[in-house]
Amino acid sequence: MSSSPTREVLEVAMPQMGVSVAEGTIVEWLKRPGDWVESDEVLCVVTTDKVDVEIPSPGAGRLERILVEPGVTVAVGTLLAEIDDNARPGEPHREEETAPEPDAADAIGAEAAPDRSRFYSPVVRRIAEEHGVDLERVEGSGVGGRIRKTDLLGYIEDGGDAPVERPLHTESPYVPEPQQGRREPMSPMRQAIARHMVESRRTSAHCTTVTEVDLGAVVGARAGLRDEMAARGVALTYLAFVAEATVAALRRHPTLNSSIEGDEIVHHDDVNLGIAVALEAGLIVPVIERAQRLSLEGLAAAIEDLAARGRAGELSPDEVSGGTFTITNPGRFGSVLATPIINQPEVAILDLEAVVKRPVVVEGRGDDGSGDAIAIRPMTNLCMSWDHRALDGIEAARFLGEIKESLEAWGARR
Amino acid sequence: MSPAEATLDDARETEDLTYLEAISSGLREEMRADETVICLGQDIAAFGGAFKVTDGFLEEFGPERVIDAPLAENMILGAATGAAIEGMKPVCEMQFADFIACGFDQLVNVAAKMHYRQGIAVPIVVRLPSGGGFSGGPFHSQNPEAWFLQSPGLKVVAPATAADAKGLLASAIRDPNPVCFLEHKGLYRHVRGEVPAGEHLVPIGEARIAREGGEMTVIAYGSTVQLALEAAEQLDEEIEVLDLRTLAPLDADAIVASVERTGKVLVAHEATRSCGVGAEVAALIGERCFELLDAPVRRLTAPDVPIPFSPPLEQAVLPQLEQMKEACRELIAY
Amino acid sequence: MKLETASPARNGSRERPDRKLGDSGDHLTREDRALLLRYMLLMRLSEERGLTLYKQGKVPGSFYDGCGQEAISVGASFVLGPRDRMCILHRDLGAHFVRGVTPERYLANYMGRSGGVTGGKDGNMHFGDPGLGCVGMVSMLPDMAPVAAGMALAFKLRSEPRVAMTFFGEGSTANGQWHEAMNFAGVHKLPVVYILENNRFAYSTPTELEYAVDPVERASGYGFPGVSVDGNDVEAVFEAAREAADRARAGEGPTLIECHTMRMHGHGAHDDMSYVPPELFDEWGSRDPIELHRARLAADHGFAGEELDEIRADCERVVAEAVERALESEMPDPAIACEGVFAERLEPLGDGEAPWSRWRERDAAPERSAA
Repeated sequence: MSSSPTREVLEVAMPQMGVSVAEGTIVEWLKRPGDWVESDEVLCVVTTDKVDVEIPSPGAGRLERILVEPGVTVAVGTLLAEIDDNARPGEPHREEETAPEPDAADAIGAEAAPDRSRFYSPVVRRIAEEHGVDLERVEGSGVGGRIRKTDLLGYIEDGGDAPVERPLHTESPYVPEPQQGRREPMSPMRQAIARHMVESRRTSAHCTTVTEVDLGAVVGARAGLRDEMAARGVALTYLAFVAEATVAALRRHPTLNSSIEGDEIVHHDDVNLGIAVALEAGLIVPVIERAQRLSLEGLAAAIEDLAARGRAGELSPDEVSGGTFTITNPGRFGSVLATPIINQPEVAILDLEAVVKRPVVVEGRGDDGSGDAIAIRPMTNLCMSWDHRALDGIEAARFLGEIKESLEAWGARR
Repeated sequence: MSPAEATLDDARETEDLTYLEAISSGLREEMRADETVICLGQDIAAFGGAFKVTDGFLEEFGPERVIDAPLAENMILGAATGAAIEGMKPVCEMQFADFIACGFDQLVNVAAKMHYRQGIAVPIVVRLPSGGGFSGGPFHSQNPEAWFLQSPGLKVVAPATAADAKGLLASAIRDPNPVCFLEHKGLYRHVRGEVPAGEHLVPIGEARIAREGGEMTVIAYGSTVQLALEAAEQLDEEIEVLDLRTLAPLDADAIVASVERTGKVLVAHEATRSCGVGAEVAALIGERCFELLDAPVRRLTAPDVPIPFSPPLEQAVLPQLEQMKEACRELIAY
Repeated sequence: MKLETASPARNGSRERPDRKLGDSGDHLTREDRALLLRYMLLMRLSEERGLTLYKQGKVPGSFYDGCGQEAISVGASFVLGPRDRMCILHRDLGAHFVRGVTPERYLANYMGRSGGVTGGKDGNMHFGDPGLGCVGMVSMLPDMAPVAAGMALAFKLRSEPRVAMTFFGEGSTANGQWHEAMNFAGVHKLPVVYILENNRFAYSTPTELEYAVDPVERASGYGFPGVSVDGNDVEAVFEAAREAADRARAGEGPTLIECHTMRMHGHGAHDDMSYVPPELFDEWGSRDPIELHRARLAADHGFAGEELDEIRADCERVVAEAVERALESEMPDPAIACEGVFAERLEPLGDGEAPWSRWRERDAAPERSAA
């Protein structure tokens, strides 16, 4: 057993970026072993819950070795790299100094741990072959990122790859032409979204209820308030009106502002309103904390701010978590109906579709339908997907009904 | 006359004995049960043996069955062979395992080969107090078991517990072949355990799982079994400990089964490294378990040096608890 | 005939035995005497044929014989009863024959055939038939001395009137194991008879380089008698062995019997004995044990020439047949090469033949082992 040299080593570990964050994924290393790093210089980029964070060096020195490779997800606190802070710039790297001793074979890759994520031991190969596992998809927790037998078994137990299905007939005279196309690896964000969406569908009993809303009153109100808010630097959108009405309705229907934990429905005191923000290659849902305290203007300002910072990648991990209800608004492209997927662990999500001028029947004063007329009104659909585990259709309908009423009577009550 | 299966009936009476007491008690019971069992060795009669294993035997069995031999190991082994050919069951004692070298000719050239060459059985037992750790120096501390593995015709056993010491000694005495019985001196008084009273046989050729685990296996015998168990306790890891108990013939099936469970093996013995039991076990694993391995097979042994006398030197050579723990840690992390 | 111990040898002098040719009293019947001649002839003729086969390339390895020493193994082993035991050495083929091994099995063993005593497992004289109470030798000398002591120990512990006997050359008395065996036998007064074949040479080493004092002198140092006899006089050897065996059976302990003789052939067939002074060959050649005994039978015991010739002719027939049968025996199946390393069970040694008339008088049939 060879001994390790006693020198000062700075450890770089996966940081806890956000209260509820438990793990992170290396996106890329900006430094390689042997490089000199200054204190606070960026070593690598990691991503957690779709937010990318740069990790600064804890001190100056020579980057000795990297322990976790890009694409690998590790728990918070996991050692990512080691920096020799006794080294001086210009000194040769330790590996360049001495030739390796022939008797140093005793330590199992303990000293210079190269990337061993592609080294597969005999038993790992055999088990992978038996189960049809693509080893490149398996994370290794062994020395140098090696896939240990237990890693592989855990991967298989968690579902892993689907077993390779042997075709019923192995020979077919028909050889299809290869399809043209292009392969694109999914980004970490895309993978994260994919995981969340599928997980959500597996978790909740999704139903979608749609309510038509006449936004005539809102259109008028917005016209009146827009300029003075703009003077204060706030852009007033229809979304803000919907948000305000939704928040108020949530106060009266706390079940819609809850989460399910086991056999319990946990009602949240605050309404932390998530607003879906489209990004170039994905989406993000920043959260307006305690939305119930904000006015229409406050909501409008918050929505604008979060959307802007979201698109600029400036959100902190805490700002994209902790939501209790989500509103999404893809309408500007003209869609009129959607069945959104609930943002777990919430129990409902509200989709504001496009505002389209339609001919609608406006009721007259008579009970017998006389006096009804056709008018051209700005109409929109509020589509809410909700979790049937927590509530039933009637409450969903009532909830939406209140929002509809509130929006259609905007101004009349004030 | 092959040994019966070992049975440890829950309702059977047991005694709490040291390793040494178990050997003594086992030998005494075999001598009571079979009057052809005799003891031959230096200072074993009036003195009761250098380690007191045969204390009181002279009084009970008389000078014809407990024979003080002159300082002549070849004679002891040769006479034992002759007596065994003519119907006795001699149990020879080498005062220290190291002195087998003085009787080696009779052991490997006469006793070991007698049946192969002539069909004549030689039912002798050679008791060999082995092992170091008490400044015995180079000639009182050796673990010479590997010498015997290279001599076909010898069976070799090395118990690690008091119960196994008694059970394997009884089986050795009843086996119609020459059996080398390695009794580690360090275990004499430091290992105690529940030992079944009365007839207790442990089959030769069968290993024992001393501790179950799924992360890695320590394959050990004699003094290193205890070391491995302690290390596993302190590390609180899922470490399996396989006690070989018999070195020749090795329980290959038990070894393979354990490798299948864990995929990682550390072979540990106090004997020196090169061509020791560890080398044989590692080769066997390499041949039969290549596709079961998740890590290279490691060995924790004494290095290839005579055992030194001064305590710091001796401690630097004999496997220690910290080394065992470190080796386990490394292997688990691999 | 009284046994006397030999006078101390002086370095460089040729030892002369004190025992003379003579009458062994009434311990031997006429028929016994004829048998003694027969067994010596069987040994001489079998070994001559064996040497021929060796030179014909039919014997792998090496070839050893006891030419000129026939009186020792025949005379000594003739004493033993059925339940006595022997460890037989390489110049003692006569002892095998006395105990019941046939020349055919001896020759087949040399040729490595499955019909040989060890079935091919061991070669040349490294054999003994356990069914006849014989334990074969190992190459290391004198390793059988402690083993014979061990057998004698078993007899003593069980208070049985049985004897263990073994042979060794004067050369191996230099080895530590000889001392260990003699000492142990003396300490415990074991019923063992040690036959020391002093044939003048240990391979090429003459006696003056082997010991400072004739080994027979050492017996008193171990607490028991050492006697010296003419190793070429089969009746003298018999008589000395008989007394020693009786002593042993009576619980009086071991005896060392030094038999003076001369090795007439090389250490092995590969040895041309060029180191031996020719005078020695001449002197000892004139004292051929078979010729000496034949002459005595004719002169002192009324054996006619034809009778003696017939004995020889019969032996020649027996050996010729043995050679044929041995040559017909097949080579062993390679599959057995790894078999038999370990014993599955204990089997006691069987009893040997005991042609001496004393044993036939005592019982109608040879004793069988009670175990």
